Amino acid sequence: MYEREVINQIEKPEYQSFSFKGTGAEYFRIWIVNIALTILTLGIYSAWAKVRTNRYIYANTYLNGSNFEYNADPIKILIGRVIVVGVYGAFVIFSEYLMMFEVAGFIALVAVILMPWLMRQAVSFKLRNTSYRNIPFKYTGKTGDFYLFFILHGLLNIFTLFLALPYSYAKFKKLIISQSEYGQGKFSFDGTAGESYSTYILVFVWTTISIIGLFIVLALIMGAVGAVFGNEHINTLGETAQISSIFNDINSTVLIDNNITYDSNLTYDSNMSYSDKNFDEALGLMGLLSTLFIFIIYLPIAFWQKGFSDGYFSNFVRNFSRLEDAPLKGTIRPFKLGIISATNVIMILLSLGLLYPWAKIRYLRYKLENTHFRCDNYEQFESLGYEKGSTVGEEMVDFFDIDVGL
Amino acid sequence: MLVDAVLYDGKSSKEHQVVLDFTFGRRVKIASHNIDIALDELEISSRLGNTPRVLEFPNGIRCKSQENDKIDQILLDFDIKKSKTHKIESSWGLSIGAVLITIAFVGFMLTYGANYTANFIASILPQNTLDRVSEITLEKLEKGYLFPTKLSEENQTILQTHFDKLTQGDARYTLLFRSSKKIGANAFALPSGDIVLTDQLVALSRDRQFRDILGVLAHEKGHVVHQHSLRMAIKTGLAGVIIGYMTGDISILATGIPTVLINSSYSREFEHEADVHAVEELKKMNISTIYIANLFEALEKEHGGEGNSSTALEVFSSHPLTHERIEYFKSFAP
Repeated sequence: MYEREVINQIEKPEYQSFSFKGTGAEYFRIWIVNIALTILTLGIYSAWAKVRTNRYIYANTYLNGSNFEYNADPIKILIGRVIVVGVYGAFVIFSEYLMMFEVAGFIALVAVILMPWLMRQAVSFKLRNTSYRNIPFKYTGKTGDFYLFFILHGLLNIFTLFLALPYSYAKFKKLIISQSEYGQGKFSFDGTAGESYSTYILVFVWTTISIIGLFIVLALIMGAVGAVFGNEHINTLGETAQISSIFNDINSTVLIDNNITYDSNLTYDSNMSYSDKNFDEALGLMGLLSTLFIFIIYLPIAFWQKGFSDGYFSNFVRNFSRLEDAPLKGTIRPFKLGIISATNVIMILLSLGLLYPWAKIRYLRYKLENTHFRCDNYEQFESLGYEKGSTVGEEMVDFFDIDVGL
Repeated sequence: MLVDAVLYDGKSSKEHQVVLDFTFGRRVKIASHNIDIALDELEISSRLGNTPRVLEFPNGIRCKSQENDKIDQILLDFDIKKSKTHKIESSWGLSIGAVLITIAFVGFMLTYGANYTANFIASILPQNTLDRVSEITLEKLEKGYLFPTKLSEENQTILQTHFDKLTQGDARYTLLFRSSKKIGANAFALPSGDIVLTDQLVALSRDRQFRDILGVLAHEKGHVVHQHSLRMAIKTGLAGVIIGYMTGDISILATGIPTVLINSSYSREFEHEADVHAVEELKKMNISTIYIANLFEALEKEHGGEGNSSTALEVFSSHPLTHERIEYFKSFAP
């Protein structure tokens, strides 16, 4: 009887889904209290805020009835943050305010040289501070491997005009995942370049379609505006657009001077081609249109794209990752994730940011519920103990929003 | 008190269902594992929502319990200090307080905060930085947008005399005459104090002594005095950070969206501030504000604008409407 049960488990263990037990209402209060305390402590609390947020999210993530844990020490995170903000602040001051480009360039150069090492640090920090059933994860990748990866793939992509990017992506995932461990168990990733290319092509095709869609909508709107306001205004509008684009053009290259306070109200052409009233109206219309355009069309489409890309890539990573012989599986529907992402951004904007916690949980929950793991024995893992180390890498990666994608 | 928990021995991922027994004074016992330690040796994690509480024992053993309320009661009974954060987080009243603090802070930063920061940065910023920034901007403009002036010496002298009187010889300010068909009739100020005046604007003057142009120059000087470019840059940056935080997406900073939003809502305020400055300067110089008002009005009449376009557009217009400005200038004219 006992033997048969074991055999049954080995023969066909079921895939089990991850689940998320947190609620928006609970997370909202943690989130807003974090922000308020961060403001009141002039930013110092942000390290504790990060730990509380991650603790909440990890602790509510369940697999096979047990939850994950986030164990980072806020003091360490604070030190990492102070260093990263200090260095970045120095860079901004030297480059944008003191115009000492040599010093700023030197800072940037050092940062670039340290990048691979810092990235490895970040991966390691994240893993060793995550545990499941009291067994911490661990990263054993070597710093040298990161340098080798960035040099080789950097050159490769420069010479192939980034056509090798999907190949590099697969290799990077392998670098991260295949050297991650859970207890004595080793993770492995065996996604091939071919599979990576087909994922990239799908994302590329759908992204192109989204952009074309964006332009069609834009053209329809301009057409509708033309029908309502008549041609004269459209011409004025065009002129206005031209003027502002000229100025944007200049501004983008000038760092501090976002606004050469120019007066479009005083812009009367010497041949009097348009009146001030029309100009005012056109200017107002432009403001109204660009605002509406950003909120109603651009942002949802951009976030839809972000969502479905995340879906495709997440599935790719999950479907080729294993812990020893226990595989992961991703069943995310990319377009559904895209719609979640797009409706989230609308929801966040309409609530002036207050619904962010609900949006985040909604997104996370969908991703987790469509991530599955098949393991015949959750009790076989042995702890190799908790480790400690620096956090600068983690904070840098966090600060610049670099996706290490675990 | 008895608390149900899951125990990990610190060596493997095995889970053991246990009961923590807190009934023997300041001690905690787990009968099934022969554990009996002083309560003070036990480390209990702070409460976070309703996530399982972690209880760390000295010898690497860890327990997790979902019975948060019981554990809170034990902490209370034995007078053990606990984190206040959960107390705030669990109260909707205090959470609303946190919302108000956040809104007040964001509001403050986008209004007074940006001004204070701009003043502070401006005070520590060496003048030659502003000069270099302006120099770079001007260089870019001169490639294709600005050309040498065609104004007569005589007219230039009149304007320069006005300008010197306006700036009272402050070397910070320089008047630059340029011609530009592309930019058209315009004047703009660079943060260094350089003020560019196009021939096309001068050509529209309705006053032989160019007292209307003087008004425009005073307005431009207002932009420099109030550090509008710096304030705009700071507000744009802040708006970017806020939007980035709201959407959880920093890449949005690269899209220029914050610039568009800030530009359309703040330049109205800046234009008005510069107008106020112009009125003050003109008063000091004993020059009526009627000339600049006339410049605006003549143009408005000539083009048949009745000057009352829809209010919806008014809200979104980045500049105060011309007729409002005319009224403003006129209100100071005797």
